[in-house]
Amino acid sequence: MQIKTLRRWNNAIHRDVGYLCVGMTLIYAISGIVLNHFKSGDLVHPDYAKSYKEITVPLPKDGSVTQAYVFSVLDRLGEKDHYKSHVLGTKSLEIFLTMGSVYIDLTSGAAQVEKKTPRYGIREFNLLHYNNIKKLYTWFSDLYAVALIFLAITGMFVLKGKNGILKRGAWLTLIGILLPALFLLFYT
Amino acid sequence: MSRKLFFSIGIMALILSSCNMGSRGIDPGDAVKVAVASFEKQAEGIVEKTVVIEGTVLHTCKHSGKRMFLVDGNDSIRVEVTAGKEITKFDEKLVGSRVRVLGVLKEEKIDEKYLNEWENEVRKPQENHNAGVHTGAQGHEDQGTQDKLDQINSLREDLKKSGKDHLSFYSIEASKFEEIKK
Repeated sequence: MQIKTLRRWNNAIHRDVGYLCVGMTLIYAISGIVLNHFKSGDLVHPDYAKSYKEITVPLPKDGSVTQAYVFSVLDRLGEKDHYKSHVLGTKSLEIFLTMGSVYIDLTSGAAQVEKKTPRYGIREFNLLHYNNIKKLYTWFSDLYAVALIFLAITGMFVLKGKNGILKRGAWLTLIGILLPALFLLFYT
Repeated sequence: MSRKLFFSIGIMALILSSCNMGSRGIDPGDAVKVAVASFEKQAEGIVEKTVVIEGTVLHTCKHSGKRMFLVDGNDSIRVEVTAGKEITKFDEKLVGSRVRVLGVLKEEKIDEKYLNEWENEVRKPQENHNAGVHTGAQGHEDQGTQDKLDQINSLREDLKKSGKDHLSFYSIEASKFEEIKK
């Protein structure tokens, strides 16, 4: 087969596999940014945005935590309708709400109100990125990884001439390989 | 062409959604019923047996949702539940919910060798999140190196006091779970 025909096939397959990979690439890239920042400590949770408020609440009158006390705290916060359950610690009380919680230090009355909002879409992307689904998805995501390898290789041969792999392309490919290698060298 | 493509995608979606149905609803069958309050006492004799347990979710692992901790009324006793192959994840929205879990009771033995390896792992600059014993305590996933070393030393003390060559930690590897609606 002639070089010209080979290149035509290379480009056609690269184009079609590229189209097929758009969805998964966006999923992995967007989720990757979130997980990257979760790992580095910028985000508290990958699937939920969380906010915290420090307040002080009255302590139970006779020292014992009752359902009435729990509801009185939630009444003050306007969260009574969102009550799920509560758990007692040795010197603390945690009240769980549908979208958050209230943590109370029973020695001082200092409390922290946590509110969480699901990151819709990203939560589902993370599910795929972590392969929590397992089953058939394991094979599907393997296939996607193989397709990415294929795209990387065929991508090098899309163009010829001054922008091809033998000229400008060679330098850019080399930089792309050296950059992660430098991070490994200096940070590990 | 495009009509055929969308038809095929629709069929595939139906097959995939039906594959996921199996994880809903629990039939305890011959499973041993265990309670959070008496878990440690019950666990010793039923390692590798199928059990069913009910409790309130205190915490789910934010890293991958592979782990959750159950309590009952107070947090003095926590039961660790790990996600088996059939379970996608334990979502954060479960925290505070009452759940029923079906799974196999597992035992993890911690001996001197394990503690030494764990200590070496912790002392490495890049610590491994999966190393060590998970407690479900507030913020345990963000433990620093010193906290982990303190935990290891405390376990060494417990091991000495026990007079045995290992400490046993029990957990449940869940195959199914369901939220109990009030």
